[in-house]
This record gives sequence, C-alpha cells and structure tokens, in this order.
Amino acid sequence: MSRWRSIWLVARREVLERGRSRGFILSVAFTTIIVVGSFVLPALLFGEDAATKVGVVEPVPAALPVAIATTAGQFDRAVEISTYPDVAAADAALGAGAVGVVVAMPADLSGPGEVRFDKQTDQATAQIISAAIIAVRVQAVLGASDVDRDALAAAQQPPLVGAREPQTEDEEARFFVANIGAVLILVGIFSFGFTVLTGVVEEKQSRVVEVVLSTVRARDLLMGKVLGIGVLGVVQLVVFVAAALAAALATDRLTLPSTTPGAVALLGLWFVLGYLLYSTALGFLGALASRMEEASNASTPVTMVAMASYFVAIFAVVDDPSGTVATIATFLPPSAPFVVPLRAAFDAIPAWQIGLSVLVTLAGIWVLFIIGARVYAGAVLQVVGRMKLRDAWRSAGE
Amino acid sequence: MLEILDLAKRYGPVVALDGTTFTARPGRIVGFLGPNGAGKTTTMRCVFGLARPDRGEVRWKGAVVDRDARLRFGYMPEQRGLYPRMRVAEQLSYFAQQHGMPATVANAAAMRWLERMGLDDRAKSKLEELSHGNQQRVQLATALVHDPELLILDEPFSGLDPIGIATMTDVVRERSAAGVGVVFSSHQLDLVEDVCEDVVIIAHGRIVAAGGIDELRAASGRQHLEVEVVGSAGAWLDGDGELIVLERAGDRVKLLVDRSADLDALLARARQAGEVRTFAYQPPKLSELFMEAVAPVAAEEPTR
Repeated sequence: MSRWRSIWLVARREVLERGRSRGFILSVAFTTIIVVGSFVLPALLFGEDAATKVGVVEPVPAALPVAIATTAGQFDRAVEISTYPDVAAADAALGAGAVGVVVAMPADLSGPGEVRFDKQTDQATAQIISAAIIAVRVQAVLGASDVDRDALAAAQQPPLVGAREPQTEDEEARFFVANIGAVLILVGIFSFGFTVLTGVVEEKQSRVVEVVLSTVRARDLLMGKVLGIGVLGVVQLVVFVAAALAAALATDRLTLPSTTPGAVALLGLWFVLGYLLYSTALGFLGALASRMEEASNASTPVTMVAMASYFVAIFAVVDDPSGTVATIATFLPPSAPFVVPLRAAFDAIPAWQIGLSVLVTLAGIWVLFIIGARVYAGAVLQVVGRMKLRDAWRSAGE
Repeated sequence: MLEILDLAKRYGPVVALDGTTFTARPGRIVGFLGPNGAGKTTTMRCVFGLARPDRGEVRWKGAVVDRDARLRFGYMPEQRGLYPRMRVAEQLSYFAQQHGMPATVANAAAMRWLERMGLDDRAKSKLEELSHGNQQRVQLATALVHDPELLILDEPFSGLDPIGIATMTDVVRERSAAGVGVVFSSHQLDLVEDVCEDVVIIAHGRIVAAGGIDELRAASGRQHLEVEVVGSAGAWLDGDGELIVLERAGDRVKLLVDRSADLDALLARARQAGEVRTFAYQPPKLSELFMEAVAPVAAEEPTR
C-alpha cells in the first residue's frame, strides 16, 4: 500500500471524526456569529441610539438647531447640538472628537454653508443635516409674502460636505483587512495547531498509537494529522472570511478596498503556511508529553514565538511596513505568516519579497517536518512521563 | 514462518533483549512466556518496527520484515487502546483500510467481525460507550479484521472474563487451523498449556526454552516424582538438603529429581519409612517447566 493512501486515510479520519463532532460545528457557528455580530450589533446599537454630536458655528440661523433635531428625529436618531464662536474652535472640537460633525451656515441664509466631518464622511448624518439646511432655507423662502421661484430653486442647493483631514476609504479598509488577517492567522494557528497537539496527546493517552504505528509510519501519521486538521482550519477560515465580508457589505460599515480579492488569497496562502509550520512544531512537541498538562508546557516555546511574531507584525510592521524590522521579519519563517499579508495590505512589499518569503517558509516547514517526524517517532511510544527532546531524537535515530 | 534472529536491545543501562532467537510456524500456536520484564513486549514491538533492535533482525517468509510484510500481521498490544470517540464499525474499517483493504471490503470485514464477536448491534456506538469486556473484543477484532497471516497478541487474556477467554481461545484456534501463525504471551500457564502446541520461554532477554510442550517435557532435565509412604506424613525426607520437595500433602510428596538421581537408593529409603503405595514419574505441568527454565536465570544477578 502506498504511503500516500496511508496519509490520506489518516487525514480523512481526522476530517470525518472532528468535522462531525459537535465541538467543531459549534465553534464554526460560534465564531461566525461573533464576526457577523461585531458588524451588525454596532450598526443596530450605535447607528440609531447613540446621539450624534453636532457642532454649529456662530452666528447660527435661528431655525437650524430645531430643524436638525426634527429631521434626525424622523430617522429615529438623537442629536446633541453645541455652538462654537468660530470655525477654528469648531474644527478643534472636531479634531478632539468632542463633536462628530460641524455645521457652518450663514445666519442670513444666503447660502447652504458647509458640513464637515473629521476624517471620514458619515453619509447618514450628512443626509440628515443637508435635509435640515435645505428645509430651513426653503421655509424662509416660502415664508416670504410672495414666493420667488428662483429663490426656491436656489434654496434647495445642498451644503458642501467634506472632511477636515480626508482619509481615503481604501486606506482605512486596508488597515482593517490587514489587522483582521493577522488576528485570523493567530487564531488559526492557536486553535488548529492546538487541535493537532491535543490529537497527538490523545492518541498517546488512549494508547491507540501503538496499534496505529504497527501499520502507519510515524511521520505519515503526523503528516496526515496535520493535513486533515488543516482542511478543517481552511473550512473555518472560508466560513469566517465569507461571513465577515458579507456582514461588512450588508451593514455598509466598510467599503472593501480595491485589493480585496488579492488580499484574501494572500491571507489564505499564509494561513495555510503558518498553520503547517506551527502545527508541525506543536505536533511533535505534543508527542513528548504523555498528559495534557505536560503538553501545554511542552508547547510554551511555540506559543511564545507565535505571540512575539504577531506583536512584531501589528506594532513594528504596521508602524513602518517597509522598514528594516519588517523586511527581516519577512524572511523568518515563524514571523512571515503574520508580516507578509500585513505588508501586502499596505502595498509595502515587492512581489519578489513575497515569492522569496514563501520559499523560505516552505523550506522552514520542510526542515521542521523532517526533524519533527524523527522526534515524533522516537517519543510517541514513550507513554510514561515527559520525554526530553534529545532523548526522543536519539531513540528514533538508533 | 516468522524468524526472530539474535535480537538485542538496550534501554540505557537496562538490557531488554540479549540475543533473542526463535521461530513461529504457520498453523502453530506459540505461547511466548516469561516473567515480567523478560523482554516479551520488546520482542513483539521489534516485529512491528515499534522498537528498533540494536542488533539482529526479524524475518518473515525468509525476508527481513518491512512495512509491506507488516500489513499482513495483526497486533494486539499489551497496552490496549483504540480511538475512544470513534464508532466501532468505522474504527475497524479504518484499521482494515490502513492494512491495505479497499473501503468496501474493509466495511464488510468490519461487520463480519462484529457479528463474530456478538457486537453487530453496537456497530454505530462509540467505543467508549461499550463495556470493558466488549472494548477488548473490539481490540481483538482490530487485530483480525484484515485477515492477517500472522497474529501477535500481547497478553490477550488479561482482563477478560471467562466468556471473553472462551471467545478468544476459539478465535485463536480457528485462525490457527486456517493456517495463520499465532504468537501470544501470557502469564496464565494453564491456558497456554491448553491452547498452545509450542512454547518459547524468555528470561532476561534470552530464550531459555523453546519447542513443543511434549518435547520440553521429555527433555526436562529433572523429573517429577510422586512418592506415597503410608503413615509417614513425609517425615522420611526430613534432614535431606539435596532433594527438592515441590509439594507435601499428607503421606504424599512430590519431588524434583535429576535424571541421574539414584532412584533405587531413594526407593530403599522410602521403604524403610513404611509401606510405599506410590512411586511414579509424573508429566510436569507447564508451570513447573516454566519455573524450571526460568529459575536458574532468575538466580543470576540481572545486571550486565
């Protein structure tokens, strides 16, 4: 029988046994609900209930505050209105976050004035205030003794809507996608890498490993296990990303950056590479333990490397995506899965670096697997106590 | 034929195997006996490549055992264990497929063995939902499901109730009759005597006796002699340091005597004590052969 059939059978068993388990189905459902919830809930809660803080610049047209409050009320939104002596003071309040939007309108209603946000225009609020401004001016025209048709038309001109420090939506969305990506990779490594770890320990603990290894090579068992659990990881990632994208689009919280398909593909690739690297390490370290408590001890170095890589990515790399730290971290297999998708999201990595980084990481996985398979083979039948790495290596090599 | 050739294995300072050599022929049931720690499990693990001998090799049908050969072996390790949360039938089918059976054949074989073990109604149960005895039956079925040509069973009777033991012996005899080679280790020597044709006795990693049980009896260096002297209560033996007394029961004593012993002199001594009703050789029990084979080695200092 070919080795590949053996590996395939191991992987298939993992997928079927774990994929059908209530735990896996619940965890996919649960994470999906959380992702969707994190988009939908703020839209429900803050979108409607929290009062929008509006700053108006003096001199204020008498009818404006009432008009804004009334219009907002029609959309079930509350507003808090404060006044500022001049545009500079209002802008300062905007920059400090004291107000969400500033309205400056000539007191004599000679023009529609201006509506200003801090960094990004909130379309719903802009619509409400524009409607209020138009309403104030139209009422002024209609209130005159004879209605001037031209004046009525002019009164319907919308105000100028803009941002104090405009930021492109693309930039914001990219940052968002990049961060989500780093978190997803970390979560993927931790949850599925640890599934490999516990799977290995369970096999030792239930003693089934002796029966399995009487026909399956130790390295084939490790590979099949890593691949099978990896398939489940990819399934969860796909569900996760699809739910996140759908929720983001449906609630209008985010306009997806132009680079989304590429970013998602890259995220998927690095999720797989990161998972393979870390789960192989966790798998063979798990073989050194004979009980779960020992397994978490054995896995500590891997956990620390993963956390350190993640923090390098979200601090150093986000800070300076093309800097020295980012470039070095790109070519270290443990940190590359976190760093490369992040740099790519900022468009701060040349294609050749991505290619080279993939090759370096693949080589790292291969080396780790060769070492890991030998340690695994040496350690997995030792069922009492925690084994030392060196002893396991020797015992398999003799 | 399975040939274990000159296996040696050390674990640090502990010598597990020290030139272990024996053969198991197809269609014969071999009892693999030895005190705890004598090297039985290590030998079996060497057959399956689970332990790597420092020296020596294992041959099957004349060739060194490789993975393809092992696919035709069935193994029941001393440390029992299967996947606790996997369904019984799927589990058997999985192991059958790992031994090279196509999926459909493996599924059918799994169901056949579950029927044979009286567990066909539990096919869809998870292993952990079964009683201990039934889990043992599934474990045996796992060793058998792929129709192996050689069965290696490590302590197959331990932890079984009498019904389980009966099932186990039935299956072992049936497979043997079908031409399968069977090697099993056990401490239950009465059972071994009942089931096995051949025995191999190991002590401190070395084979100290091997062959058919009858041959071993015939070759036994010492004879078991039963002597009954009416009214003596065995007192005529007192003060004799050379004779090994195995058993005293009233007037009846059981002695272990060398083949070279002067039986005439012994008989004369017995006659002086009273009327000799019995003076006869008895075939030794397997347990007696075992003690005889193991005792001289056990007396040695085991550090080497």
